[in-house]
Amino acid sequence: MGRPPTFITTPILALTAGLVAGSSQAADLVWARYGDIDSLDPHRATSTLSMQVWDQIYETLLAFDGEGKPQPHIAKSWVVSDDGLDYTFELQEGVLCHDSTPFDANDVKFTVDRAFDESNPSLTKTSWGPISAVEVVDDLTVKFTFESKFGPFLPFLADSFSSMVCDSNDPETFGSSTGIGAGPFKLVEWVKGDTVSLAKNPDYTNYGRPFDNKGPVNVDGLIVKTVPEAQTRLAGLTTGEIHIAEPPFDDIPAIKESGELEIMVAENTGQNVFWEFAISRPPFDDIRARQAVAYATDPELAIDIIYGGLSQREWCPIARGVFGNDQEFCAQYGYPYDPEKAKALLAELGYSTDNPLETTMFVWTGGNRHKLAEIFQNQLSQVGIKVAIEIMDIGTMNARVKEQNETTDETPGTFDMMTWSWYDPDILYALWHSPGAYSGYNTPELDVMLEETRTTIDPEARLEKVQAVIKHLMENAVHVGLYTPGWEWVFAVRPEVSGLKIGAFLHPMFNDVTIKE
Amino acid sequence: MIRYIIQRVLAALVTIWITTIAVTLLIHAVPGDPVRIMYAKFQSTPEQIEAVRIALGLDQPIYIQYGLYVSRLFQGDLGRSIVGDQPVLDILLTRFPPTLLLATTSLVIAVVIGLSLGFLAAYKRGTVIDVGAMVLAVLGVSIPHFWLGLLLLFFFALQLGWLPVAGSDLRSLILPALTLGLANAAVLARLTRSAMIDIFDQDFVRTARAKGLPKTMVLYRHALRAGLVPIVSMMGLQFAYMMGGAIVVENVFAWNGVGRLAIEAVFARDYPLIQGFILFFATVIVLVSLVIDLLYAVLDPRIRYS
Repeated sequence: MGRPPTFITTPILALTAGLVAGSSQAADLVWARYGDIDSLDPHRATSTLSMQVWDQIYETLLAFDGEGKPQPHIAKSWVVSDDGLDYTFELQEGVLCHDSTPFDANDVKFTVDRAFDESNPSLTKTSWGPISAVEVVDDLTVKFTFESKFGPFLPFLADSFSSMVCDSNDPETFGSSTGIGAGPFKLVEWVKGDTVSLAKNPDYTNYGRPFDNKGPVNVDGLIVKTVPEAQTRLAGLTTGEIHIAEPPFDDIPAIKESGELEIMVAENTGQNVFWEFAISRPPFDDIRARQAVAYATDPELAIDIIYGGLSQREWCPIARGVFGNDQEFCAQYGYPYDPEKAKALLAELGYSTDNPLETTMFVWTGGNRHKLAEIFQNQLSQVGIKVAIEIMDIGTMNARVKEQNETTDETPGTFDMMTWSWYDPDILYALWHSPGAYSGYNTPELDVMLEETRTTIDPEARLEKVQAVIKHLMENAVHVGLYTPGWEWVFAVRPEVSGLKIGAFLHPMFNDVTIKE
Repeated sequence: MIRYIIQRVLAALVTIWITTIAVTLLIHAVPGDPVRIMYAKFQSTPEQIEAVRIALGLDQPIYIQYGLYVSRLFQGDLGRSIVGDQPVLDILLTRFPPTLLLATTSLVIAVVIGLSLGFLAAYKRGTVIDVGAMVLAVLGVSIPHFWLGLLLLFFFALQLGWLPVAGSDLRSLILPALTLGLANAAVLARLTRSAMIDIFDQDFVRTARAKGLPKTMVLYRHALRAGLVPIVSMMGLQFAYMMGGAIVVENVFAWNGVGRLAIEAVFARDYPLIQGFILFFATVIVLVSLVIDLLYAVLDPRIRYS
């Protein structure tokens, strides 16, 4: 055949030619995260990703300071009755919801009633405690009455699960496309799976959040984008499309070295990564097997290799920044790396490197945890514990761990690298008071001790109760702290952005943020 | 012809019907208690878990569950998602348009490049152009979408700064569409080349040329049309799969389509949403296949008149 026909073209060039990156709106801060919120309704979701957005839209009655202690905020003061059953809060005057209606005691009552709505209660209803009534005393005074004393109540009022929802919200659209609060940003639009667009609330006053700026935020808006792929987030940070994002872990040393982006590490995240065991059957029904795992693993070495100083050893079953955490106290009952001790315990059980104890370790995906698990697997093999690793998402792991505790079959019990983040030692109640979140270890004695951590309000007395629980859990090798923080705690920030603060319990706040032109 | 159309439509309906059964059974194929797995992260009481079981109809015998599911389907009700408690149909309909746009644009890119390259390679069979085109095609087939996507992102967004890294506007469409389009173009190019080589050797092409018809008419009107049947079939398949969401590419470029939705639903163990997605995807594949079957009849008179 002769000359080729002249239909070969390069349409792709036509598609791309002449397109240049447009100018971004400098006054909008763009924050990219790996996933989207589940709901705008604080009663309909539990994910950290959701909570971090609620923090921007809604207010809480109290606010955590940098150390994670609750401080006055929208509630400027409160009185607790002598019997510890009534809490009366006085609210700030002049707080406005985003639709310009006043935020008052009716909004507080609306929020709590909604959380306790029998037909559709809040997913975190139990965290509110045994509230029996909420009464509007006057526009700026609201009274909570409890059936029994509830120690974790004040910290809860500073946590996003207690976000205050304005009663002017439309029940038809609230949570799915609208959300009216009194926070520093107003909701503009939620494109599900993609973007939550927020605009500055010009009427905002910061009463108690631990930031310098007491007025409205400095930026015009906050765009919370979902960008699942870490390398894409890094590319966006490099081009300037994204101002703040979690970077890919393996690139953090290079990012630090290049100096082009600031790396921020959150403190007081409330996150605790720990060993937890299926104690209902062998091998971990024997405390010596649990202790052997604890002695045989060296979290300090592992986190140093994998996270290079971005995480730290955690001795306690509750994280740093949480009431009751005391490294010195917990270390007394901890299990420092001691492979010889582990071998001796295993020998008592009839195991050795030639006849290893065989079991399975559950680990949840992401954050390089699989690499950490491989190091632990290697350390355990050296003392005579042969471990198969199973990696799964956190929801599946929660369910599998519970299943492991409840099953009556003959297979060897598993153990897992469990993780929890909470603002109060009340997490120990959720985990270990019978029946327990995972139907795991529980005893009548521990139940009583845990109940006392709830019903004791005086901080000093409560500390004693909490530490008694910690001692019990550690001595029995039930909840063995490994390290903290454990997930999503590193932020890469563009150089033109300053003032980002990561509030206690991993709540990034933008009150002080400015963007240089 | 009418009999052919009726046959194809009936086959499509049967396939969708079988899918509805599979989707109902899906929830029972999950090891353990699906409701408990779905609600594992929530502070659910046994009463709440039971209420969900009843709400999902899981306390009923399986044939009743199927009946309920189908009756709800006829009312356009695919259930509500576990995460966020939203109607599944609304979620799918929100996330489908970006995928449709991406799939269509990618298909256009794939067809233009793939057909051109394949046609050229066949036309210049045995030359350097043929070898070059096929090397490109093999590369395109072999490179994982993930890597190609990152390469394009690196080049066009990071180095040249021409295009955004991620987003939902039309400019953000170009890189994911190019990634998908190039990968699919490679497959089409190889197929087009072999189909056209067969056709060029056929008697009717030689006859057409011998009759003195203009070269372009021989190529476009006779050769290309005759070779299109397998190519259209492949294009249809590619399009159908892209409509189900190009999961990897949507993830890399943060494109807000149904592919990413499916991944999110799986990770969240959101069974109503997973069921809705499977049914939706199956329906899309069936409908696209139906259109292709009907197109065959247009392209190939043997099918039309048989």
